[in-house]
Amino acid sequence: MEAKPAQPYWNPYVAGFGLGLVLLTAFVVMGRGLGASGAFASTITAGLNAVAPGHVAANPAYAEYLKEGTTPLKDWLVFEVLGVFVGGFLSGLLAHRVTRTVEKGPRISTRNRLIFAFIGGALMGIGAKLARGCTSGQALTGGALLNAGSWGFMIMVFVGAYAFAYVMRRQWT
Amino acid sequence: MMAPFFKFGFFGDNLGLVVAFLVGIGFGFFLERAGFGSARKLAAQFYLTDLRVFKVMFTAIVTAMLGVYYLSVLGVMDLSLVYLTPTFLAPQMVGGLVLGVGFVVGGYCPGTACVGVATGRIDALVLFLGIFAGIVGFNEFYPMVSGFYNATEMGQLTLPQVTGLPYGLLVFAVVLMALGGFVGAEWVEKRMAARKAEG
Amino acid sequence: MQELTITRHNELIDPVLSIWSWQIPVYLFLGGLVAGIMIIAGYFVLQRRYRHTDFSTFYLPHIALVLLSGGMFALFLDLEHKLYFWRLFTTFQPSAPMSWGSWLLMIVFPALWANTLIRIPQPFQGRVPLFDRWSAALNQRPQLIKGIGIANMLLGTLLGMYTGVLLSSFGARPLWNSAMLWMLFLVSGLSAAAAFVHLITTDEYERELLAKADAAFLTLELFVFGGFISGLLTSSRVHIEAVRLLLDGPYASAFWVLVIGLGILVPLGIQMLAVNHRVKHTPVAPILVLLGGLTLRFVIVYAGQFSHWT
Repeated sequence: MEAKPAQPYWNPYVAGFGLGLVLLTAFVVMGRGLGASGAFASTITAGLNAVAPGHVAANPAYAEYLKEGTTPLKDWLVFEVLGVFVGGFLSGLLAHRVTRTVEKGPRISTRNRLIFAFIGGALMGIGAKLARGCTSGQALTGGALLNAGSWGFMIMVFVGAYAFAYVMRRQWT
Repeated sequence: MMAPFFKFGFFGDNLGLVVAFLVGIGFGFFLERAGFGSARKLAAQFYLTDLRVFKVMFTAIVTAMLGVYYLSVLGVMDLSLVYLTPTFLAPQMVGGLVLGVGFVVGGYCPGTACVGVATGRIDALVLFLGIFAGIVGFNEFYPMVSGFYNATEMGQLTLPQVTGLPYGLLVFAVVLMALGGFVGAEWVEKRMAARKAEG
Repeated sequence: MQELTITRHNELIDPVLSIWSWQIPVYLFLGGLVAGIMIIAGYFVLQRRYRHTDFSTFYLPHIALVLLSGGMFALFLDLEHKLYFWRLFTTFQPSAPMSWGSWLLMIVFPALWANTLIRIPQPFQGRVPLFDRWSAALNQRPQLIKGIGIANMLLGTLLGMYTGVLLSSFGARPLWNSAMLWMLFLVSGLSAAAAFVHLITTDEYERELLAKADAAFLTLELFVFGGFISGLLTSSRVHIEAVRLLLDGPYASAFWVLVIGLGILVPLGIQMLAVNHRVKHTPVAPILVLLGGLTLRFVIVYAGQFSHWT
């Protein structure tokens, strides 16, 4: 079967409306919003706890993820993120957008793009830990609830990204 | 009052995880539909050629915010039972700054990276490993930064409490701001397209 | 495992039977997978597909032999007295499913091995002259080959059923007291095998066929699950409590999300779209089916040990 061309993305307002309804559903059904970075943190904690339990127990940064559900199999965000993978994959598959590729601008090599991806990821991990949430858990969820800290966070995300955009222009344009 | 269903005991923790999975499917689906599985689409926001990130994010925020507001005004939903991340203003703003820089360097945020990985993006997978490294790094150095991490604690704090303005008025203001932002975004995109056409 | 005879019905002796860890679920999964592969491989033999050279299904009996040995090894690791393993084969007790199982495996191995002889894969040709001679002799007797195909299908069905019957025979575990369990494990083994062949085959015809077959098996599995659950739900109070471990108890998240959602519904949807040429074939669906089958064994074995009569 020949590969079908990728379909165009949805109108951003339509997709945003759908996303808002999902978020609203989470509020109404669960009394909590969406998230992503928390799932990473609990997976890491569970993994490290299996390898070096003494080290994990001694560090208060891990402690909050070790309360009752010491297994990621009982973590709300882990299951939510599992769903994100499924939903993203199904959507991409239906629109013929599942392709093994590296996203980058024309002026950067694949190797350098991957190095930047790693550095960006590490910064994001640090930032998300410091802010107690990421774009999903803080900006989106807290934003809709008019949470003061979340709005502060959101503004600074845009400030940081725009401030650094010029430096990174060779990667994307 | 009957919502949030979970807090009123309609189902337990175990089925809550099943709800999490279903909610996640919806979340991932719309993120991908919005184009957030592609780092180039996301990064375009910061080069003003495609302001999808802003448009999608604020449409979602306005939708959910209005929904929550009406449901609480109608007495269907008890807003005080919805979990609110406590505010620690200074670390959250610095964290936002670091995450913002990471966003333009890496090209995804943690949630969109999952969608990127699910649709085969290798850079998203590498970024994934980066997030793990970042979190482990933060945790290992946690004793050194714990003072800052716990600074400026303000508890559960909402914008109506900060400003002293009524909840409804602020909701209205955010809607107005978003609408203004959408008009501005469309204008900027047209300008950028025109500039590109001129070469 | 031989310490646990089926007569141990009293829950005061084993309040929570949690002595089975990963070995038994892995054994049950691999056993079911091999059973499914035998049925599919036997079907291909009857379809005379062995006449076409270089179809990946040629390798199925060989892979099945390796997988079954892996499963037996997992079972062996579980045994308390490894040195007495051989004793399983010195007696035959008609009332003991474990005894049936060990003897069943004794015929499964030669049946699989006979299937490998129908056509020896390229890299192994000429290595053992005796096998080559047998293979040549076999190919002059189409009736014998047909017999091997039928034997594989039959023994595969028995093996698949046996993995469920083995659990059903433990009277003290209400979750396993279901006549649907053998059917569930058989169908799950078949769907896992179809997914496995779909995953490894390079042949377009086989891939399409098995994707379709897998969609049918997965649908069937959903119905069998329905029967399994409603059967226990309409039974006595202990059985209702046992099945509620899966429905909204501590195993609900694993059951609904990993087994039903990721293991059946999601791959079923993807396979349906793929066979209708709406989306391209990806390895994702068969991998999910295989993982779902493995998780099913873990959930049933763990939740079953958790279920009790009081």
